[in-house]
Order: sequence, then C-alpha cells, then structure tokens
Amino acid sequence: MSEIMENPKGGCVLAGINSVLGAIERVCPIYHSGPGCCMQTSASDQGQSGHKSSCFVSSVSIPSSNMLEKEVVFGGTNKLRTTIQGAIDIIDADAYFVLTGCTAGIIGDDIASITNEFSEKGIPVYPIETPGFTGDSNLGYETVWNTFLDKVIDKNVPKDDKLVNIFGIIPYHDPFWSGTLEEIDRILSRLGLRVNTFFTKGQGIEDVKKSSAAALNIIVNPWLFKGPAAKYESKFGVPSLRIPGLFVGATDTTRFVRKVAETLNLDKDLVESVIASEEKYVYHYLEQSIGVLSWKRFAVVADANNAIGFTRYLANDYSFTPVLVIVSEPIFRPEDKERIIKEITDLEYARPPKVLFLTDQYEINKAIREEEQEITLLVGSSNDREIALEKDIQFILGSFPMSERLIFNRTYAGYRGSLTFTEDIYDNN
Amino acid sequence: MAINLSNSNVATRENRIGSITGYVGTLKDLATQSECGTLKGCSRCFSQSSTCLSSCALGQLCGIRDVALIHHGPAGCSVAAAGAYYMSKVMSKKRGVTSNTIYVGTDMNENDTIFGSTNALRNVILEVNKRYSPKAIFVSSSCATGIIGEDIDSIVDEVRDEVGVPIVAVHCEGFKSRIWATGFDISDHAVLQSIVQPPREGVKTNKINFKNFFESARPEIIEMFKKFDLDPVFLYCNSTVEELSHISESLATTCICGTLGNYLGNALEEKYGVPYVRSINQCGIVGFEAWLREIGKVTGRSEPIEKYIEEQRAIYLPQIEEVKKKLQGKTAVLGMGPGYTFEVSRVLNELGIKVVWALAWHYDKKYENGDVPPSMKYLLDNDIDFEASVADQQNYEVMNVLHKYQPDMYLSRHPGSTVWAIKNGTPAIYVADEYMIFGYKHTLEFAKTIVDAIENRSFEENLAKRTKLPYTDWWYQQNVDKFLEETK
Repeated sequence: MSEIMENPKGGCVLAGINSVLGAIERVCPIYHSGPGCCMQTSASDQGQSGHKSSCFVSSVSIPSSNMLEKEVVFGGTNKLRTTIQGAIDIIDADAYFVLTGCTAGIIGDDIASITNEFSEKGIPVYPIETPGFTGDSNLGYETVWNTFLDKVIDKNVPKDDKLVNIFGIIPYHDPFWSGTLEEIDRILSRLGLRVNTFFTKGQGIEDVKKSSAAALNIIVNPWLFKGPAAKYESKFGVPSLRIPGLFVGATDTTRFVRKVAETLNLDKDLVESVIASEEKYVYHYLEQSIGVLSWKRFAVVADANNAIGFTRYLANDYSFTPVLVIVSEPIFRPEDKERIIKEITDLEYARPPKVLFLTDQYEINKAIREEEQEITLLVGSSNDREIALEKDIQFILGSFPMSERLIFNRTYAGYRGSLTFTEDIYDNN
Repeated sequence: MAINLSNSNVATRENRIGSITGYVGTLKDLATQSECGTLKGCSRCFSQSSTCLSSCALGQLCGIRDVALIHHGPAGCSVAAAGAYYMSKVMSKKRGVTSNTIYVGTDMNENDTIFGSTNALRNVILEVNKRYSPKAIFVSSSCATGIIGEDIDSIVDEVRDEVGVPIVAVHCEGFKSRIWATGFDISDHAVLQSIVQPPREGVKTNKINFKNFFESARPEIIEMFKKFDLDPVFLYCNSTVEELSHISESLATTCICGTLGNYLGNALEEKYGVPYVRSINQCGIVGFEAWLREIGKVTGRSEPIEKYIEEQRAIYLPQIEEVKKKLQGKTAVLGMGPGYTFEVSRVLNELGIKVVWALAWHYDKKYENGDVPPSMKYLLDNDIDFEASVADQQNYEVMNVLHKYQPDMYLSRHPGSTVWAIKNGTPAIYVADEYMIFGYKHTLEFAKTIVDAIENRSFEENLAKRTKLPYTDWWYQQNVDKFLEETK
C-alpha cells in the first residue's frame, strides 16, 4: 500500500535482478521498459553500494527497448523483438535475460512469446516476467534464482558431494558482497569443499547450470531465499542449510563452520584444525591491540543479515553493550521477524538490545533521537550519519546505502573480516 | 513559444521544438537541414539504456531549500532520493546555509496499480506537510501512475487550501519523452506554475537570474558581476522559495547550459518581460566574451564589461597560448548533451584540437523562440565542420566511433560514458562540473587538464590490455547508423 518512505533504500525488483545478472560473467540483461529504468535501477543498487559497477555490461551499455508512448498504446513486443536481435548481434554474451518494467507489466506485453522465438533457434534468451512494482531489490534476487531454477539449471548433472552453493548475499546491494563471498569461499575451501559463489572468481552461467550437482545450498541470511530453496530441493534434490545471519568474528564463524561440517559430515580432525588455526589467527591480532578501542554502547541500522552480524560480534565477541538495533529493510513474514529478533537478542554475554523494524528514515531518526539509553557508537548507512552527527555519536559506515566509501574486496564477515571491522571502528570509517 | 501555466503538463521537447535523438552525418548537414526545416530524426530498432526525465526534473527541484518532493510511484523510481539528500545536506553545507528539503517515495505496489491509490496519496501529502512543514510541495507521477491514470492534479487541487503552501503536480512519466532534458522543462514549469509571482510594483533591482547546476563558481561569479553592478541569483541549487517567487523582477536571465535554462529563460521573457540572454555559452574565450558582451547589451553595462575583458585577456591569453602548443593537432571525440557538445567543440577548435566526431545526446532543431541554437550558428558561420551524430547516450555507437577513429581523447559530461571509453584504452575527460571551461581562468585549467590526461595514459592502456569489451567484431565493422530507421 502507498505509504510515506523518506529516503527509500534500494530499488525495485529490476534493481535486484540487474545486480545479480551483472555479477555473473558474460550475462547480458535486456530491459523491456521505459528509457530510464536501467539507469534508475543501476543508480539505486550499484550506485549506492560502495561504488562498484558490473564489468561485462553496465548502465549505458545495457540494451533497453526504451518504451515510449507509442509502445504504451500499441504494445511493445515489436520493439522488444528488434532489441533482442540487436543485443545478440552486437553483444557477445553467453546468455540474455529480458527484464520487465512497470510499463510492460501493466500493459501486459507477452514477453515469453518473443523470447521463445529466439530460444527455439537455440539462442539462450530467457524472460523474467516480474514487473518492477511487485517489490524491492531483495525480491529481485529471489526472482532471478526462480528464473534460473525454472529455465536455466540443468537437471541431469552428476552429484558432487564436495560442491556447495552459497546464497543470501546480494551482489551490488550488500556493499561488502565481494569480500564476504571471498571470505566464505576461503574458509570452506580450507575444509576441502568446492564453492559456487556465482559472483566471484569469474563464475558464469555454466556454473549456474551445473549448480544442481551441489551437495548443499548454504543460505547466509536469516530470511531470504525461502522459495528458491524449496524449489532446489524439490526439483534437483539439493537440500539447504540456513545460517540465520551473517557471521562476523571467531565465535559465529566457528559456529557456521561446525554447522556446515556437521551437515556434510566432514572429517572432524580437519575441521577442528581449520577452526583452531583460524581462531588463533584472529586472536593473535586482537591480543596485540588490547585496550586500543574504548568500550562502547552501540546501535546498528542495517539490513537483517548485517544487523545480526554486527550486533553479535560487538556484543558477543568484543564486550560492547548493544542498545538498539534497527532492521531497515522491509520484512513481511512474522516468522522471519521472530528469527531475526532471536538471533539479535539471544546473546551469550550481553543483555539483549531493543529491536525495531523500520524502513522510513524519519522513523529511524526518531527512534535514535528519542532513545533514552546512551549510545556512543552507531553502525549504519549513509542515511544515518546525520542523526549520529546530531547526537554526537561515533559513526561507522557499514550498511547499505553506502555512498561515501569505495569498497573492493573489504568485508566485515568471517574470521578475517572481523579484524577489518575492528580496525574501522578505531579509524572511524 | 506559448507557455501555458494553467496546465501542469508540459509538451515534450519532441513535440514542442522538434527535438530529435537519431541522426548520423555531418555538423553542416545537421545545421542546414534544421535551418530549412527538412531535418527529420530517426529512431532505432535497437537501443541501449537511456535516462529517465524524472531524474532531471526532480534532481533540479530537490536543490531548492526546504521543500518536499513526493514521488508517487514504485520504490525503484524514488532513487533520486539519494541525490536529493546529498543536494540538500552537502550542497547547502558547502555554501554555509541549511536546507531541510525532503524526498519521500510512496512505495506503490501491485495492488495500487490495480485499485489506484489516490486516497493514500492524499494522506501522504497531508502527513508530509505536518511532519516537515515544507515551504512548497512537489508531487511527482511515474510511469506506473501515468498508465493507470492516477489523477494527481485533482488531489493536489483538493488539498491545496489545507496545506497552505505552494503545491503542484509534476508530470514525470518516463515514457513521455526520449529526451531526458524534457525533465528540466518540467521542473521549470512546476516552479513557474506554483512559486514565481508577478513582479511587485516599484521594485528596482540589479539582480540577474543565473540558471546553473551546482553553483561551484558562485563566489567568483558574484565577484565578477560586482564589477558590473549586477547581483546574480543562482537557480535552483540552494534557492529559497522566497527568492524564486521574485525571479520575475530580475534584469535578465542567463544560464550555463542552453538545454538547462532555455525553458525558464523564455518563459520569464514571454510572461514577465525579463530578457533572456541569447548567446553562445561561457565555455572558452570566444564564448565567454560573446556572453559577457550580450549581458552588457541587455542590461546596459557594456562599458565596464569591455574594461574587464581587456584586463583578463592580458592575464590569461599568453598562458593559454603556451599550453595550446602541446595540444596542436590532437584529435577528440565527444559525447554530451547538445547544450555542451557544440559549445565544447568550439573550445576544442580554439585550443587547436581537431574534433573528429561529436555526439549530441539529443538535438533541438530550434530553441523556444524559433532560432537555431547559437552554438551551431557560430560553428557554421566560422566554417567549422566535422562528423556528427545524435544519439541518446547510445554506448554501442560511441564505442564504434572510438574504435574506428582511435582519438587522442574522449570528452563526456556523463560518467557512465567515460567508463567505457577508458575500457577501450581512450583517455577520457569527464567534464563533470558545468564551470570546468568557464571563462579565461577555467579555459586555461581545462587545457592543462587535457594535457595531463593525454600525456599519462598508464591506467587506460594497462586496463585496456587486460579487459575484454562485450561488443562483437561484427559490430565494429558496421556503420554507426546500422540500427537507425526512418521514424514511422
């Protein structure tokens, strides 16, 4: 329902779809939409998430049917057909996906009938018939995977009991996505696993197609990917393990490693030796800088995944006191909210913080402004810096939207990321 | 041009002034055809992403201090909120003022596209008014609200008395025009309709309206105009509603970019008799002097202006001549909005650089008053010609041109466009700030920037060696106009 949203975060479904497709090598999105949708959706995610843009094609190089009044009135399928043909002629891609803008969605253009004309000739062109207005970037992420599951992933691929697929980290939306996926890949590789991150190390559409061979899907997110996970299981027999929140620091990362090891029945000695060496690595550094950071009472404003990771690390591993956690992405299912609250409040050492679900910046600012307990550190997005300045609270830019930092492979996740996070709190980044 | 301020809709540039986005040929042919009225733009059967006019329209309006923008549409359309936030907080801070401009989206969803949401919109407007007490409210539409026929005008009329501040509907359906600059006209129209008042009786002023983007050269322009007893009013970044209400009283209107200022300038002239300064723009020496002289003529200040020109020439011309030596015979391709392409082409010519191809993102055959744009007229009168095309940012056409001509440099005012030139190994100069080539001083700096960019190509060459562009060999062998077709 229409409601007030001050400084909306992120984009529509198309933004999420564009982000995912842009992170896979040699995949070309084709917008069937108004002339501005591609730039708007590129700006909303890639433009506000640490200043990285997709490599293969991005913004001005992405094909778009640029629907005008004529197409609104008479339909846009002819324009779509020539746009797809042109894309095939000039862009040397491994697969093409047609995205549906609000305009095409409302006037009801039959996109699949056009893409079929090409796929019948053996050209890999796929329709994604979920219009922009149906949701946000998060839904876009799930929408792409549903399309892959329905139309792209191969059925008869021999199983590989050492292959795992990683889900739950949205590229170009989570500012730390590259580094986070690389850290997860690094840790799991040490356990002898082969890892599909799909968005790093040059992985392409072939890796997506063969992802049905995996022994396990690992979903690093407290709520995302419920639908696609069920489909992976029913259609391809790949079970899923949900890690209900990003792991930052030794405690939660070790918990993650043990869960994966247990589920896949990995060699216990290997697992324990990896954990021991990783923990030693982290604590060897922490030990060298004891007392460098002063103690804080903190608040977090972030998407659910990062909110859980930041809160649990600072409270459970670093002895800080959590005061207020605001989950700033829209969460609709009550059971998801419960799972998120549980992860944030079920702390081994600290008393639980207050947890709020707010997407409107006005409400977010109000909650922080009116918080009665003292806050001395705020980890949030670019939108939250102002209230931190107003209240004279130390501010760390750690969540989406993030417009004042350049992020290549930096992450706060995992063993090594927790050290970076701690450095940044000292450096005031 | 007849400006109709009783209707909140503005005709598109295509319909109003015959603007086009598809053409490949030469500058001379383009100009000759527009002069004799035979120019007919082409469309493309294949295109890449263009830009939404809403970002131009709302991007302009959110620069005004202490106003509220309500974007009625799906959440994705409201991405300009990020820029709006930056404009109101950072740009005001930079100038030492405060702005509480606020940008809200209405987060329209699937149900709203079926059942409509005018009631919800009414509540949003009232709540925004209560929460933020803005000095004016702009309510924008989107593609989705446009297609389902949401009647924003009626809602705005209904709540006008209750909100008690200027409020106006801003029609930003993205499918309306291929020319995103139509958005500039839309924002001007909204300001003229809701805020600008007729001149007060007996008010005497030395103010001159100066339409620009981000007022980065504000202090030096104020300083310069002081010498001529003129007081510039910069629009719209950091403007107040109060200031805007009196722009009808100014001595004249000028602008940094004809595409940006044309609608407002002509409307103020037509409606309130405020002269609009029509000349080539302030880029380069020839442009700067022509512009100053025109201001002198319009405002009766020729004498101090001639004196200023003489002083500045003595300081800067020798220095510019020195840098020019390093630029002789270098080649350039450029891609910009038409308000800059044909102006910057002139400057490159002044600096001794050969323009081998110029792309304009659109082309206005005629300005609102019916004349051919002054920048074109200048090039024609001075017998300057080069290959030219009109393309709404079509990257594949840019890359085809760069691949064929391998110029020494590519210049663009759009960062997404320079990215692809750099991947091609071409040094690119991002003419980001509208004052980058303004007057003597900045023309000198611009020339030095070009020297720096083309002398050290380490990043471009190293990157290009290691990156693979998405375009097929087939495409590089085609003519640039391969996908153009006659408009049906």
